[in-house]
Amino acid sequence: MERLRLALRLKRWYKSVSCIKHYMSKQQPAPVYLNLFRIRFPVGAVTSIAHRVSGVLLFLALPFFVYLLDLSLRGPDGFAAVIDWFDVRLVRLGSIIIAWSLLHHLFSGVRFLFIDLEAGVQLSQARITAWLVNIAALAATLVYAWCVL
Amino acid sequence: MSGHTVGLKAWLWQRISAVYLALFFVYLLVQFYLYPFTEYSAWHEWIARPLVGTAFAGFILALLVHLWVGLRDIVLDYIHPLGLRLAVMITIAFILIGSGFWSMQVLILAGRAT
Repeated sequence: MERLRLALRLKRWYKSVSCIKHYMSKQQPAPVYLNLFRIRFPVGAVTSIAHRVSGVLLFLALPFFVYLLDLSLRGPDGFAAVIDWFDVRLVRLGSIIIAWSLLHHLFSGVRFLFIDLEAGVQLSQARITAWLVNIAALAATLVYAWCVL
Repeated sequence: MSGHTVGLKAWLWQRISAVYLALFFVYLLVQFYLYPFTEYSAWHEWIARPLVGTAFAGFILALLVHLWVGLRDIVLDYIHPLGLRLAVMITIAFILIGSGFWSMQVLILAGRAT
């Protein structure tokens, strides 16, 4: 029953997307509003684009994280080297950016999952949660920055 | 899956991996906050536990799936020349697969050493 409901929900979601696609293909070429410098940003768009930016930042940090994991498990010396890495001021500053990326990606990701389940889809609610996500991520990052600096 | 549902699978995989990533990330935060590792032996002992190691390996797999779907969406939106798009996708795949094998090797070696 639960699975059926999920399938129906997915189908409805897909239908709405395909309707838009169909409409756009009939009327005119799809508008491309992706130039970041030319579009105005409502708060939901800020949350959305920040989700992408933070995701890309985390991807770029991934090889460095794997390197740290490797180093930390090579032995006591490697573990100490990882701890020493964190004494470098530049690494601490960089870790603040990573912390923001993680927090924002997590918060906004949870918000997107709820929206997928059709909770908080209403525009007024969606705007409030978008503000909440953006502010909570910044606030938590400030707490982190205050702890490491 | 027929042509009607192109992209639905990727969309679903992204959500499934997202849930696992979020849960495991919060678990890691709580773990590190409650029991910060200050010594190599404790850190190694923890990650060499079969349950932790397996959950960690699952985390890496979910991370790779999630990154691939997400980055592909971004590339498809912003990079239009076909050659460049292909080059970027191949670079991303290379980095993801490399990171995957590397971290799995680290986990397996850590598990074996005990």
